[in-house]
Amino acid sequence: MVYTKKSPALLVIGILFLVIGLTTQFGMQDGLIQYLHLKKYVGEMIGISLTAGVIGIAVGLWHLFGTHREGHLDYYLSTVAGALFILIIALVVRWYLAPFVAVLSKSMGPVMGAKYLHQVLGLNYVVLGILAGIITVNVFKIPDWAENGIRLSRLGLKTGVILLGTLYSLAELSQLGRLSVVLIGFFVLGSVGLVLWMARRRNVPNSMGGVLSAGMGVCGVSATVAAAPVVQAKSVEIAYTIGTILLWGVGCMFLFPVIGQILELGYVQFGAWAGTGILNSAQVAGAALAYQPDGIETLKVAEIFNITRVLFLPIIVLWLAVWYVRREEGAEAVNVGTVVFEKFPMFVIGFILMFALSSTGIFAPANHYKGKYFDNNIPESKLLTAEEVNRLQSEFHKVQRQDRREALQRLIENRKVMSIDDDATLRGLVNAKILSKEANQLLKKAHKAVRHTAKKIKKFRQWITLLFAFGLTGLGMQITMASIKQAGGQPLIIGGVVGTAKAVLSLIVILLFVHETI
Amino acid sequence: MYRRILCASHGTPGAQAAEDQALHLCEADGLLYHLFVVPDFWKSMMGDDWLNNGVTRDRYGRYLENQLSEEAAQVVESLKARAEARNLRFRSEIKLGKPADCLLAASRREPFDLVVMGAPRPKGVPGLRARMVLNDLIPRLTVPLLIVPHPAS
Repeated sequence: MVYTKKSPALLVIGILFLVIGLTTQFGMQDGLIQYLHLKKYVGEMIGISLTAGVIGIAVGLWHLFGTHREGHLDYYLSTVAGALFILIIALVVRWYLAPFVAVLSKSMGPVMGAKYLHQVLGLNYVVLGILAGIITVNVFKIPDWAENGIRLSRLGLKTGVILLGTLYSLAELSQLGRLSVVLIGFFVLGSVGLVLWMARRRNVPNSMGGVLSAGMGVCGVSATVAAAPVVQAKSVEIAYTIGTILLWGVGCMFLFPVIGQILELGYVQFGAWAGTGILNSAQVAGAALAYQPDGIETLKVAEIFNITRVLFLPIIVLWLAVWYVRREEGAEAVNVGTVVFEKFPMFVIGFILMFALSSTGIFAPANHYKGKYFDNNIPESKLLTAEEVNRLQSEFHKVQRQDRREALQRLIENRKVMSIDDDATLRGLVNAKILSKEANQLLKKAHKAVRHTAKKIKKFRQWITLLFAFGLTGLGMQITMASIKQAGGQPLIIGGVVGTAKAVLSLIVILLFVHETI
Repeated sequence: MYRRILCASHGTPGAQAAEDQALHLCEADGLLYHLFVVPDFWKSMMGDDWLNNGVTRDRYGRYLENQLSEEAAQVVESLKARAEARNLRFRSEIKLGKPADCLLAASRREPFDLVVMGAPRPKGVPGLRARMVLNDLIPRLTVPLLIVPHPAS
């Protein structure tokens, strides 16, 4: 089969990217950039647009005028059209639509405390990207030339998760890992058990109970896909289950960030809640990025929960297989090794490898936090001058707290911050506003001199947000109204009860026991 | 009585009522052409799964395809047995696509005298949502159409 379609579409997309890149580079979009506050995106608007433009034009010309024969070259190059189709939608949303929504929302004034409507509703580039994907597939349909490349959205998300491994410290990973195993363990096993119990009470067939329990308990559609053949689910049962999960997943993606804003949940709390309470794993990432679009701390927490869920998947599939064989005559016995091997998510190995690599200090010193690290091995030019030291000396008497006095004394003696603890103490002194404005400026200067940003980690953070935006927009293109409409029957009732119970109970547990200490 | 009948059915109670009428209206030695449509929403029934690997997704795809094929074959075989018991000639076709488009395409394949199908499922009756869109079908259909009321209505 030849996958490449002779279409000018990719060429057009390439030209569009090139136009965006060049007009940004030559200042022709300056007015728009100022109006939409796009200054932070200018780098990627030039870099990504020019790269994607050149690739789009080169491969697009080959699509249109080349001779295509069955083979690997045809297969892999045919995916470029779909990938750039997702990319242009995701980036137009990120660069233009989401900032425009923010400008409109700000013009309406704050609606909840100091928060604007788009912040409360989580209407940022991620959520709008998913919506754009859903609208594309349901209103316009995915064009033939893009179909083969749309599946790359999964690769984008998995690559994003793998790169995310570079951003955790050992302490973070171990604390979040423990928290997620406890919460996911309790709620996964609890919801699987509850679904099976309710299914028995309502005389639902074992196959339907089995597939629904995996979907509701573990990771939504992915668990349904993994469990359906094992419990020999009927087609109608699969349709009901997937429809119900998609309906819930999309609903929760919009609802969770709003509730999180109302309850003023911290990043760890929200990430843990989304990671536990949202049924479908794709929407967990969507909700996390909706809650914190300009940072990835919530995503980091939520993805640890997602990874824990997916690690539970082989166990639950195995459990259901054994459960089903015991209850159904003629059910095929399963091979434990095959199930575990087949269902094991290989990208988690990539995540762990990146974490291990990051821990060696290859990307940044191991003690980095959010890509920033302390290093006071600085050149003479970065040290405080004698005049600046005198200024601090003259205000020394204003400082009363012993730890602050000691940290300031060491700064004065050495003309630089001497330790990470001193740095934290002096930051506290700045925030306390005890010293004059000028002296505080000097403390900030001393702080900047010893705090460094790991360039590779900064790049990883940027790539992670882009990969998630790309992946989630592409996944949005796989959510059809036709499949959501299949939500119904017993799965809708049981799913409604269990989904609500899981969301509410996990929120209560998180409010009671999870704090911003990780 | 009709000589060549195209019957669109897919095993639901409403479709079975259509089958009964088609069998009843087809004259002896007449042709009963059975169209079974697998709605195209099944193509998107992997939803937004992204966690599974290719092996698991392929296994699911094959499993679902087999399930749908088996379910379709059962319905076709059942109608075939009933048609042959009444000395009717029987032919069948299983198509993946939009029900209305598939029915229109099938109706142009033979000079049919009548198309028979079940009425849309009344509200509250459980079942999958892939209705024949009558607004798409009726203006383009050139063969007389019989819509058999749903047993629950």
